[in-house]
Amino acid sequence: MNPIVSVEGLRKNFGKLEVLRGIDCEVETNEVVCVIGPSGSGKSTFLRCLNLLESITAGTVVVNGHKLTEPRPDLNRVRQDVGMVFQQFNVFPHMKVLDNVTLAPIKVSKHPPDQVRERAWALLEKVGLTDKADVYPSKLSGGQQQRVAIARALAMQPKVMLFDEPTSALDPETVGEVLAVMKDLAREEMTMVVVTHEMGFAREVADRVIFMDHGVIVEEGDPAQIFDNPQQERTQAFLSKIL
Amino acid sequence: MFAEFGVANLRPLLDGAILTLYLVAMSGFFGTIIGLVFGMARVAPFAPVRWVAATYVNFIRGQPVLIILLFLYYAIPLMVPSATFARGPTAIIGLSVYAGAYIAEIVRGAIESVPRGQGEAASALGMGYLLRYRYVVLPQAMKVAVPPSIGFLISLVKASSLVSVINYVELTKAGAIVSNLNQEPLVTFLVVAALYFALSYPIALFGRWYERRLV
Repeated sequence: MNPIVSVEGLRKNFGKLEVLRGIDCEVETNEVVCVIGPSGSGKSTFLRCLNLLESITAGTVVVNGHKLTEPRPDLNRVRQDVGMVFQQFNVFPHMKVLDNVTLAPIKVSKHPPDQVRERAWALLEKVGLTDKADVYPSKLSGGQQQRVAIARALAMQPKVMLFDEPTSALDPETVGEVLAVMKDLAREEMTMVVVTHEMGFAREVADRVIFMDHGVIVEEGDPAQIFDNPQQERTQAFLSKIL
Repeated sequence: MFAEFGVANLRPLLDGAILTLYLVAMSGFFGTIIGLVFGMARVAPFAPVRWVAATYVNFIRGQPVLIILLFLYYAIPLMVPSATFARGPTAIIGLSVYAGAYIAEIVRGAIESVPRGQGEAASALGMGYLLRYRYVVLPQAMKVAVPPSIGFLISLVKASSLVSVINYVELTKAGAIVSNLNQEPLVTFLVVAALYFALSYPIALFGRWYERRLV
């Protein structure tokens, strides 16, 4: 057992509102975990606590050996090992695609620019966008922008990738291309935590599925167990509504 | 009537216009620097920094430029004799302090117009505050800030006329002196008005060109 992410008793309040009410969870290296659940269940907040985009109210979170809940964690160091892909892509609109990908490795990791550019080209090839390297993101479709965002996160050579509903803002016809890139990543044994409404993807790719509701993990298990034989009533109710 | 006006009268007005241009350029430059610093401070992560910046911005925006200038030139030297400056530097300091407060508000609004997700994406890549602002937030904010800043620069041209109150002989003061000597206020101030227009209209044209380029 070699968990790269381990979470104990994680709580998160927004003012008086309790969004996470005690989460315990571990993610193994090379594991793909999909987090599902109704909106407002706290799954995105949970994900955002893993790289401290949200501050943590209580509990312990350890990512890649860094304890995020100590008084002053070296945030920028931790985040270099944790890639994140957002629902709204958040590509940098004022930079060409290639510059989006090379910015952080050059400025944050201080890797030599030539070497970074070479790696960026390889990543653009992986996500199928070498022909768009010199284009501004506004000229790209949502699916293409999201693939740029994935390449940008991978350029930091992260140990774990977080996906926050990466296909929810996409036109239906471009969902597939993004999922395909994510499947490739999973096949290459990238450690991934994916918050998603794509049940087909979760069933096919996930090693483990976590069902969250009202700020707690209600049930978790391998995809077949969760989707075909859920034990908890709330899981059954949720799945019956969406499947 | 313009023919009789002559070089003798025109010359001091042109000199005044040049000084007005100089005042606006200098205080526009320093005001932009002050505005950038205080605009960023207005949205800084550290609360006391925000308070200091908010105090400066709100206080200065609540003062007439005239009072800022009179205060700097006549009042402050009484309290702090070493802070006695000649008219020119006083005018530049006063206008810069005034411009800085307004540009700070423009900068703050521009920074807030950049979607939150941009900063978050940069943070998630391990970029600290300085890298995030330098490469992600400010470049996008500046595009938003330039058009209203140009608008403000035009009002700065007009506000600069107020430094005549501390007897700095820029365009307005030059006009007052010349019309006093030649007893021709009509022609004199028509020329002054034309010169102000010649200074401010190109700025407006530049602003329009810039905005069209943005689209």
